[in-house]
Amino acid sequence: MNANIMNRSELIYHTIAIISLVIVIILLWNFTSDGSYVEGKINSDVITEETVSTIYGQLYRMIPTFCGVILFSIVISFYLEEWLQQTSWQYQIIERHIAILARVPSLVVGILAVYFIFFHFQNITYYGLLLTVVLLVMPVTIQSTQKSIQTVDISVREAAYALGATRWRVVTDHVFPHTFSKILAVICTAISRILAIAAFLVASVWIYGSNSFSFPKSVILLITGALIVSVLSSLLD
Amino acid sequence: MDTNNFSIETENLSLWYGDFQALIDVSVNIPTGKITSLIGPSGCGKTTLLRCFNRVNERYGNVKTKGEIKILGKNIYDSDVSLLELRKTVGMVFQRPNPLPISVYENILFGLRIHSPFRSLNRTQTDEIVEEALTSVFLWDDLKDKLKTRATSLQLEQQQKLCIARLLPLKPQVILMDEPCSALDSKGTLAVEELMSVLAGSYTFLIVTHNMAQAKRVSDECIYMFLGELIEHRETQALFETPEHEKTADYVQMRYG
Repeated sequence: MNANIMNRSELIYHTIAIISLVIVIILLWNFTSDGSYVEGKINSDVITEETVSTIYGQLYRMIPTFCGVILFSIVISFYLEEWLQQTSWQYQIIERHIAILARVPSLVVGILAVYFIFFHFQNITYYGLLLTVVLLVMPVTIQSTQKSIQTVDISVREAAYALGATRWRVVTDHVFPHTFSKILAVICTAISRILAIAAFLVASVWIYGSNSFSFPKSVILLITGALIVSVLSSLLD
Repeated sequence: MDTNNFSIETENLSLWYGDFQALIDVSVNIPTGKITSLIGPSGCGKTTLLRCFNRVNERYGNVKTKGEIKILGKNIYDSDVSLLELRKTVGMVFQRPNPLPISVYENILFGLRIHSPFRSLNRTQTDEIVEEALTSVFLWDDLKDKLKTRATSLQLEQQQKLCIARLLPLKPQVILMDEPCSALDSKGTLAVEELMSVLAGSYTFLIVTHNMAQAKRVSDECIYMFLGELIEHRETQALFETPEHEKTADYVQMRYG
């Protein structure tokens, strides 16, 4: 009997997890030390249409990053549920952090983001927006994906494992297809939250700058988009 | 009997779930080509012992085992043992029929595809394998026109037979059954028992059952367990008619359990 096949997939997944973790640490390190590589300077004393354009420009440039955050959250959920022992201290620590972060109201994250990005740093940094989106989207996405993974009947897993399937095979052949529509719903929820926070950022800055309770039309569009995606999410779930 | 007549041998096997010891120094030899039943009251460690033999217990993180388990003479905890190969050799049927939520055809082939190189099976081969497996469990006539049907939509009896059928292409040496008839009606139970009797000889069966009548009917040998300990292991008739141990006598004469 040969032990190689089982160990190889385990090794690959652990390597991916470690690399991902290192990337996150590097990103956060950059954010805290020297700012960003893409930035849009703003003057919080003079808020104009140009300021709003700068915000949108930065948000558009970050679309691939937002997709990455959502994808990364889903991968983490699978790792937590399928690979990590649920009794291990690593699982417990990560799980508890996610639980705490998921309970933080999104408004709190939004207000902190507005304060630090626009009025403290006066600079729409890549890492500032990334941190906002990470705090806002990742915990909720991970939790929802975990819940959808947990809906897969234990008997299906046991049947597959007892036939000799590796974890990877169980995930790709059974868990992922079973949870696919729910994961789409989770992705929609994440997109909706990103649109909502974008609307909040722009609206807050605009209200501050114009000294009146009015929004640019784009904010209405963002809010409408968030609502439509939320409805789509509920249909898929 | 010499050692080659045993498919499964354990030596002082102990198992803990966290701090709770579920198996206490179990030493047992399961004969090849026969049906052996594990009986005992709930929580006595029957299922735990059964699950040790293809190491499905290990999926739960807080499990610790001590002692030796040999399947076909090979210690399954040796570092060169692959779980993939072990589970190919030792098939398992569960308490509740658990066909995979895919077609009947793909259910039969799922195990085989895991253990075969990618795209190594052509359509003619797979058709033959499916027909052979379903014929062995007397399902071919019923299901030959429903091969594309989702397996979870079959009757419970058919689902359980399918769960046995999907093991057969892997040519296992040992088939573990964890209360395979508990979810079935009397007709389904009879059908599965008949199937076991037909297949015994080609395979070693180890069956956990709460149903003593079933243990009497189907098994050649019987093991009585109590609170994680193996109390008595003898031929079925002898164990039921002339139990050596007082605890066994109490159980088989239904004074408790």
